[in-house]
Amino acid sequence: MKQYSGLEILRLSKWQRFLYKLASFFVAIPHAIVRLLAGIWGAVKGAVQKIGSELKDIVATFAKGDWKTKTSYLIMGFGNIARGQVLRGLLFLLFEAVFIFYMVTTGSYWLSMLGTLGTTGPTQAYDPIFDMYTVQYNDNSFKILLYGVLTIFFIIAFIYTWRVNVKQNQIAEKILASGKKLKSGKDDLRSLVDDQFHKTLLALPLTGILIFTVMPIVFMVLVAFTNYDGAHNGFSNNLFTWVGLQNFNTMLSWSAGTSGTQSYSATFGEILTWTLIWAFFATFTNYFLGMFVAMMINKKGIHLKKMWRTILVLTIAIPQFISLLYVSKMFAQNGLINLMLMDLGIIKKALPFWDDPIWARVTVILINVWIGIPHLMLIVTGILMNIPADLYESARIDGANAWQQYKKITLPYMLFVTGPFLLTSFTGNMNNFNVIYLLTGGGPTNAAASGAAGSVGHTDLLITWLFKITTGAESQYYLASVVGILVFIVVAVISLVVYSVLPSIKNEEDFQ
Amino acid sequence: MMNTNQAPAKRHMGLKALNRASNTVIYTLLVLISIIWLIPFVFIVFQSFRVESTWQVGYVIPKQWGFDNYIRLWNTDFKKWYLNTFIIAVAAAGLQTIIVLCMSYTLSRFRFKLRGPLMRFMLILGMFPGMLTMIILYRVLSDLGLTQSNAVPGLILVTVASSGMGYYVSKGFFDTISKSLDEAARVDGATRLQVLYKIILPLAKPIVIYTILTGFMGPWGDFVFARYVAMGTSSGYNVAVGMYSWLTNDQISSYYTTFCAGGVIVALPVTILFMCLQKYYVEGVTGGAVKG
Amino acid sequence: MKRFLSVLLAAMMLFSMISVASAESALAGTYDIVIWAPEAAVELTQQQVADFNASNSMGITINATVEPVSEADAATNMIMDVEAGGDLFFFAQDQLSRLIQAGALTPLGVAASEFVKTNNSYGSTVAAQAGDNYYAYPLTADNGYFMYYDKSIIPEEDIDSLEKLVEDCEAASKNFSFELENAWYNAGFFFGAGCHSDWITDDAGNFIAIDDDYNSDKGLIAAKGIYILASSPCYVNSSQADFASGSAVVVTGTWNYSAIAEQLGENFGVTDLPSFTVDGTEYHIGSYSGCKLLGVKPQEDAVRGAVLNQLAQYLTGKDCQLARFSNFGWGPSNAEALADPAVQADPTLIALNEQNNYAVPQPNIHGSWWDIAKIITTDIKGTDGSDDALQTALQKYEDSIAAVFEMTDEVRNAFTVIGTVNGTSWDVDLPMTGADGVWTTTEAYTMEAGTEFKVRQGKSWDVAYPADNFVVETAGTYLIQLDAATGTVSLVAQ
Repeated sequence: MKQYSGLEILRLSKWQRFLYKLASFFVAIPHAIVRLLAGIWGAVKGAVQKIGSELKDIVATFAKGDWKTKTSYLIMGFGNIARGQVLRGLLFLLFEAVFIFYMVTTGSYWLSMLGTLGTTGPTQAYDPIFDMYTVQYNDNSFKILLYGVLTIFFIIAFIYTWRVNVKQNQIAEKILASGKKLKSGKDDLRSLVDDQFHKTLLALPLTGILIFTVMPIVFMVLVAFTNYDGAHNGFSNNLFTWVGLQNFNTMLSWSAGTSGTQSYSATFGEILTWTLIWAFFATFTNYFLGMFVAMMINKKGIHLKKMWRTILVLTIAIPQFISLLYVSKMFAQNGLINLMLMDLGIIKKALPFWDDPIWARVTVILINVWIGIPHLMLIVTGILMNIPADLYESARIDGANAWQQYKKITLPYMLFVTGPFLLTSFTGNMNNFNVIYLLTGGGPTNAAASGAAGSVGHTDLLITWLFKITTGAESQYYLASVVGILVFIVVAVISLVVYSVLPSIKNEEDFQ
Repeated sequence: MMNTNQAPAKRHMGLKALNRASNTVIYTLLVLISIIWLIPFVFIVFQSFRVESTWQVGYVIPKQWGFDNYIRLWNTDFKKWYLNTFIIAVAAAGLQTIIVLCMSYTLSRFRFKLRGPLMRFMLILGMFPGMLTMIILYRVLSDLGLTQSNAVPGLILVTVASSGMGYYVSKGFFDTISKSLDEAARVDGATRLQVLYKIILPLAKPIVIYTILTGFMGPWGDFVFARYVAMGTSSGYNVAVGMYSWLTNDQISSYYTTFCAGGVIVALPVTILFMCLQKYYVEGVTGGAVKG
Repeated sequence: MKRFLSVLLAAMMLFSMISVASAESALAGTYDIVIWAPEAAVELTQQQVADFNASNSMGITINATVEPVSEADAATNMIMDVEAGGDLFFFAQDQLSRLIQAGALTPLGVAASEFVKTNNSYGSTVAAQAGDNYYAYPLTADNGYFMYYDKSIIPEEDIDSLEKLVEDCEAASKNFSFELENAWYNAGFFFGAGCHSDWITDDAGNFIAIDDDYNSDKGLIAAKGIYILASSPCYVNSSQADFASGSAVVVTGTWNYSAIAEQLGENFGVTDLPSFTVDGTEYHIGSYSGCKLLGVKPQEDAVRGAVLNQLAQYLTGKDCQLARFSNFGWGPSNAEALADPAVQADPTLIALNEQNNYAVPQPNIHGSWWDIAKIITTDIKGTDGSDDALQTALQKYEDSIAAVFEMTDEVRNAFTVIGTVNGTSWDVDLPMTGADGVWTTTEAYTMEAGTEFKVRQGKSWDVAYPADNFVVETAGTYLIQLDAATGTVSLVAQ
């Protein structure tokens, strides 16, 4: 493609300029992907090199270090204590003790079972004295996987801490050699509210994220490689075990089911298409209508601004499960809207708001506008106030009418500032569980796509489908995990591509 | 071109008329929009006072008014659910705010080695559908004994623990507070901690209130995960879980108006609180959301 | 081995009878338990547990926490986490095999099975059964559907004909609510036309096969029947109390009785389902009849388990069932309670009983079947009603069934015996085991002279030996054998 310089672009007609921009967007996509892959490769290579140099450093430290340092390789914190940093040393020592205690008592058991996820399932036995069957529970695949993962986390944490412990000895030796004094425990504590204040602040939030977000995600990714489902719940019926890539094969194979039913991949494709359509409309209807409403309210000469805003934000204030459930019932076949229209004689037969695929899809998008506009309105109001007033002033002097002002000033400014926001609300809408689940529950049933992959509806998003798989008749957790991973990939690719193509907002420091 | 003298005057008059006309159109539209926005909420209030029947009907104004539905509500476990939700909401609002502020303040103000990777890592984490982890979180809570009748502390724990992920809005807000303020204070010998609570926090009042408000409002609508955690134990339900079952096919004909009454009771305090603090919410959203 | 087992079992029974007295006194004590009951029944259940405490002679005191958990949620929750489940739980019978599979139910003991068998109506005992074992206690036997109608719109003489009902509704611009996009309801048309759809489970509650003829000439008749209603503008896919929202006919069950009675007032009408006419023949719409069951969570401690079983038997006994009938109108499964005059006089139960003449007791059904079979109606509704189009919808159903219930190669390749062997008729497949191309029945059967059968593969007729039925010439006890390579069937005398 021909590249234009800045000056040449200005010389192009408006239409050509638009085409040029569009073309460069798409040309940039493969570049972005290549860059992404290169980035990943670079990261992997960097990590390997890093580990290599760390190992070298560890060996070198041991060779050069004094006896205090050498002992610290075995007894963590020894060097610190020996050199007078008692507080640090004790913490290291305590951590090592806890680690060893844990590994000896339970950790090693979980690790050893991780390969098989358990061997003995529950057993039933007839008890002749009381004339009944009793049950005995044995291995628990779920716990093995869970605590196995936790143990590995713990081991990684231990290795890291051990490495820090070694490094501290190295640093301490250096400092002492140069004749300076080491930090005391008191200094350490003080630095935690000053130089190292970020560590104090982040400790709690990151621990929470690690245990309640990272660990579950790692766990669920692993589940995609097992046969964990309702029939293998790992505890009270059958144990589950590793199955390799089998589930991905099932999901991604293009071949149809055994006799003419839709394949998983076709169903996935169908739902993904609707998810993208939905996300597009949900994002942009809200965006433009929200902007429109905000501009109406903010227009000079419109009174009662606060009242209009307050009315609109009601949908933010009232919990969605009330407003959406209620609205869903209002539009139901025997709901208020249909009953009223029938009583008034406007319609004879109930309108199929939730029963016809097209009706249902349009209705959810419209109701989403009802839920979404107020939020957009608030955001837009804020941004509109930031647009320098003299821009409009000079435009007016040039004779630009309201539409031209909007097109030349408001819209470009908005798009520039809200680029990342649009992206997050697009991906947010892709995973907008509440609106779909509360309004339609995914319905009406999509006869063609249902079957092998359970019941699928015309308004099902990937996220609600995932939920249905999890809670459906067969509780196919492994399949849900595969879908979850695919959703992640889709969202990640969209985000990365858009991010790398977006002209603005790459450098967050620009804003400060 | 020829009438250069006359044109502006004419245009001026035309503009005024145009302005008045467009204002009329805008008012009409705004009134229309307001009606659409209010209708469901007005309806739900009316229906909560309907005495003559408990299912869906084709009219809005009750034929017979009364508090029957509210009395019925009082006789269910609704009180307990309401209290549960309130406790979760208050605890989540408080603790979550602390976590989110720690996180966002740090990421906005400190430049440390792992900052970039950390933010990128959390961005990637956020791309996993959260739905996926419900089962495992349930099991973890169940092992800790924080499910069923202990669902309330369990829900608080999970809500608060994962709240660090939602730092974007308030980080965006902190980014807008000038850095020269902290630098001046640092030069005067204040520690980072002192800078935080003496200088930044007072300036960050809108975002603090915004975070408290969103933290407080969230639990009122949580039903998917809450249903898992409280599974089969009414005393651990929150309002959403408890009321959700009233609209299932076999319950709706006898509980529809009760649901409406419950909806009103749930929505009232949340809405009033929101309206009172609306100013801060707007400042928070506009200050932080876009930049995040 | 088999014989040894049965001797052992008999010995156990004897032993258990002797030891009952001592075992019962060993049950004395106080137990904290959790019961999951539907919201409506919470208070009554609490009361009934108190009555049990007062009346039992075994010295059992039970502190029960009764949690309101709907029958549908109970099964889902149990499957999610058996450990956290209620010790006793009310559930709908279609969940039985899911629960067994999840390890949330164990077989009942000998005496308990006997209790279930002797005290309850036949349909409800079938519901509690998987293979040869009983797994739960029947609580009600009223889970079925019939027809409510508005007398001011539907004349008395039209209530037996689907076509006339549709006509009346259309003429009055009223709706006809029948939740046909739900496999539980549309099955009525198929049963009415003489189809069947049965899942076969082994003793452990696993599904081993489906025996289904929806995609057949009979099925086509049913599809035409569904089309009569589904293609009408008056058709509404609903089973709620819709009379307030413009319906003149609603097909639903006892649970909507009070709302509907209130909506219709003096125009309240209730009866069995109507008939539909295809090619001049009338077919009475059938239905599923079903029950609710009381399950006992598997216990590691035998004493506690025995106590729970005692309580379960009390709660599903005659008095408790009658109390539930008089409080909430739940139709009893207990034979004695069924004979009670008050039960006999209940209008909805009368309609249900009439409908039960055409009903099929709901067996264990594979969970995914519901999702597949409900689509038949969605598909039929979208066609022009021609034979070809309807047949396509049925074909799709059959394909989906085949795809979902992926018959393992084991099942597909296995041979079975079908015929009048051992008192069975031509709808039961007797298992065989194969080795080196020779298949033999797993047990010996005593056969009269003249008994006829075939050996078929994969429960279909594509491969079946011999070409004409095998006829037994001399009465005796035989193993049936097949040489798969040649297709020769032979008898091995025992």
